[in-house]
Amino acid sequence: MPLDEPDADLATRAARGDRAAFALLAERHYDRVHALAWRWCGSRAAAEDVAQETMVKLARAIRDFRFESAFSTWLHRIAYTTAIDHLRAARKLVQFAPAQEAALEAEAAGANPEDAVMNDDLWRRVRALPDQQRDAVLLVYGEDMSHAEAAALMGCTEKTVSWHLHEARKRLRLSLEVAP
Amino acid sequence: MTTDPLAKLAATPPPREAARRAALDAAMAAFDAAETVGEKNPAATQDLPAPPRPRNAINEGRPLMRSAFHMNPALAASLAALMIGAPAGYMIYSRHPASPMTNTLTADGGADVLIGRAAPQNAPSDFVKKVETDTLLPGPAPVAPPAQSYMPAPMPRRELQAAGKARTVGAVVQRPVAEVVSRERLAHPVLDEDQALARKEHRDKFEAHVTNPVRQTAQEPVSTFSADVDTASYSFARRMLNAGQLPPKDAVRAEEFINYFPYDYPKPDSADAPFRPTITVTAAPWNPDNRLVHIAVQGYALQAAQRPRANLVFLVDVSGSMMPDDRLPLVKNALRMLVGELKPDDTVGIVTYASGSGVALEPTKIADKGAILAAIDSLGAGGSTAGAQGILDAYRLAEAHFDKQAVNRIILSTDGDFNVGVTDQRELLGMIERKRESGVYLSILGVGQDNYNDALMQKLAQNGNGVAAYVDTLNEARKVLVEEASSTLFPIAKDVKIQVEWNPAQVAEYRLIGYETRDLRREDFNNDKVDAGDMGSGHRVTAIYEITPAGGRKLVDDLRYGKKGETPAGGDELGFFKLRYKLPHEQKSRLISQPIRAGSDVDPAHASTETRFSIAAAAFAQLLKGAPYLGSYGYDDVIALAQGAKGDDPFGYRAEFVNLARLAKSARP
Repeated sequence: MPLDEPDADLATRAARGDRAAFALLAERHYDRVHALAWRWCGSRAAAEDVAQETMVKLARAIRDFRFESAFSTWLHRIAYTTAIDHLRAARKLVQFAPAQEAALEAEAAGANPEDAVMNDDLWRRVRALPDQQRDAVLLVYGEDMSHAEAAALMGCTEKTVSWHLHEARKRLRLSLEVAP
Repeated sequence: MTTDPLAKLAATPPPREAARRAALDAAMAAFDAAETVGEKNPAATQDLPAPPRPRNAINEGRPLMRSAFHMNPALAASLAALMIGAPAGYMIYSRHPASPMTNTLTADGGADVLIGRAAPQNAPSDFVKKVETDTLLPGPAPVAPPAQSYMPAPMPRRELQAAGKARTVGAVVQRPVAEVVSRERLAHPVLDEDQALARKEHRDKFEAHVTNPVRQTAQEPVSTFSADVDTASYSFARRMLNAGQLPPKDAVRAEEFINYFPYDYPKPDSADAPFRPTITVTAAPWNPDNRLVHIAVQGYALQAAQRPRANLVFLVDVSGSMMPDDRLPLVKNALRMLVGELKPDDTVGIVTYASGSGVALEPTKIADKGAILAAIDSLGAGGSTAGAQGILDAYRLAEAHFDKQAVNRIILSTDGDFNVGVTDQRELLGMIERKRESGVYLSILGVGQDNYNDALMQKLAQNGNGVAAYVDTLNEARKVLVEEASSTLFPIAKDVKIQVEWNPAQVAEYRLIGYETRDLRREDFNNDKVDAGDMGSGHRVTAIYEITPAGGRKLVDDLRYGKKGETPAGGDELGFFKLRYKLPHEQKSRLISQPIRAGSDVDPAHASTETRFSIAAAAFAQLLKGAPYLGSYGYDDVIALAQGAKGDDPFGYRAEFVNLARLAKSARP
């Protein structure tokens, strides 16, 4: 099987139960899924869990994939919802203020060098934003999506995304200035 | 945009390979599991943006379960925060109250199977007991009550690092979700995080050991070590060299290189004195001033009629990673060959483990060979690894058919990462040790590359009175299982220890080549409680010391204020060799001893081919390991030495060795 076979073809075959096609597809997309998971979670451990969870969900759902969107968009959506679920679930259990939560996450992550290096102030502040603002920022700047794509994923209008971004920028700038 | 600070949100740390592999394995397992379920109900799951969740007839209309399902991310997430990136650490749980024996991934009646990563690292020990006792329950077990969760409450690996996270985990565990989770066993990663990080190219795990240093006889006259007949290191190195790559230094154990080859040493006469040592002193080919003291110990070979009955349980890893030809298919062939070697009265049982564990074949007499071969043929790879459950099942089976007169042995075949559901590695080792006391031994047949966990396999085999062999080709499998079947299966002695006391008047310095992982303390030699290596029928063990004769050019300077002038007894002896062993069914050790004397002829060319060849093997291992004592001696010298000492070599092992030495010259590091 050619390694450069387009996602759509692989997905079609995977949906029919082709194991090798699915394996290739999963292999190809794992890194992006992991990156997304890390953006939202900010710790390697959580990111790895979310990424794995996403891959498993993908495996279960691939046979029902109907090509109503591009495969990568579809997978993105699974990853995004999985990450959000993860954060929500964590929050439901222990009600910390967002800033505290971010601090705890960051502290947890401090143990391994990559997380420590990567989780600088900006990341922490972005993760401490209200959910919608955080999602808008991470989707647009982290995942490099258009406002329209982000809106589709977040289930709101494009305008709302722009507004969230605007608000987020205001907040971030404000807090960045306050920081020593 | 380049100046926008938010642009840096695009960068993230790269995923770790182990985590990546784990996730992909989990995905493949889920993909396989969904196969049958998916066929039944093709219409579903396009109602995004909700995350796609599998739906099937069973799933529909069970709100409790659905909510449990929804909790999965949280559960997986927080429990999995504990997980260290072992290539396959999954928790598989089914709400189907199936027996742990039959609970496998491949769709049993459409029970939906969840996969999450999880693994408590430091679970309390009562957790272990619970798992163990639970496993011994025969037949279908009831669904565990909510409180009896297999999630140990205090545990996460990041507990120390993050109080906050720990609290999250605790909270999750309290939730009723745990009830759903309870049935299946937790799989366990065994490697340590740093180890995993440190290894970039291949994830095979080897424990680093410092090469034995030169010791001064005046300061430390006694050298003690445990016999070792493992050969895994050599086969592993061969595999890498054949791929044009030098093996990692830590993967090279000189004693396993030396002991890999069959040598024709003088044989002992009876099983009552099962060992015969032969000691040769020759000049070191890499340093003419030094001597090599070559100690060859030949074990007694049981005749077929003396062989006890064998009660074997094959424990076979059938997880997804075992799929390649050099893994499960190879293991299956190897087991077929082994079955061919056994006697009609011997029994074989087969336990498999992947996501779950199952008995593929109840212990069956070899007389019914057809049934055994059919069971071996039907083994197929798929799913993730839950080794601990498998090992518990294997012990259960072996114990159920325990025969005091027989050799009761489990043969574990795996490509390495053995997920230790029985809490941590030490617990597992402890368990294997206890089982060994009860008479069930464990041997390892390692296959595959990439995630071969050498250190763990070696330890498991050591604790289980067994051999760890790494099998890369069918030919190797034949060597281990057919040619050496009786030595692999039938022990002639256990706790074999060797101690050499050097005479400072004759030997200024010495160093033992290899056996770093087999080092024993001087006082352990006479302590029968201290475990050591075991030897099977016909096994032989070779140890080589390099010594600097007194008065020679020494590597370490003398102490100015050290003792001088005393001439001890046995003046002309280089040293004194002692070997302790226990007969298989005895608890008290026996002793064999003899003095080491140098003959007048130390010309290496006059040594036997066996001696010369083993020296070549020792030199080769040292070169691969980068040990500093060989001076300018190189691969060409090894090749020349081995070429001239090939002897009979009926199976071509020595010729292959020469070939590997040639490959090593051009292999990339």
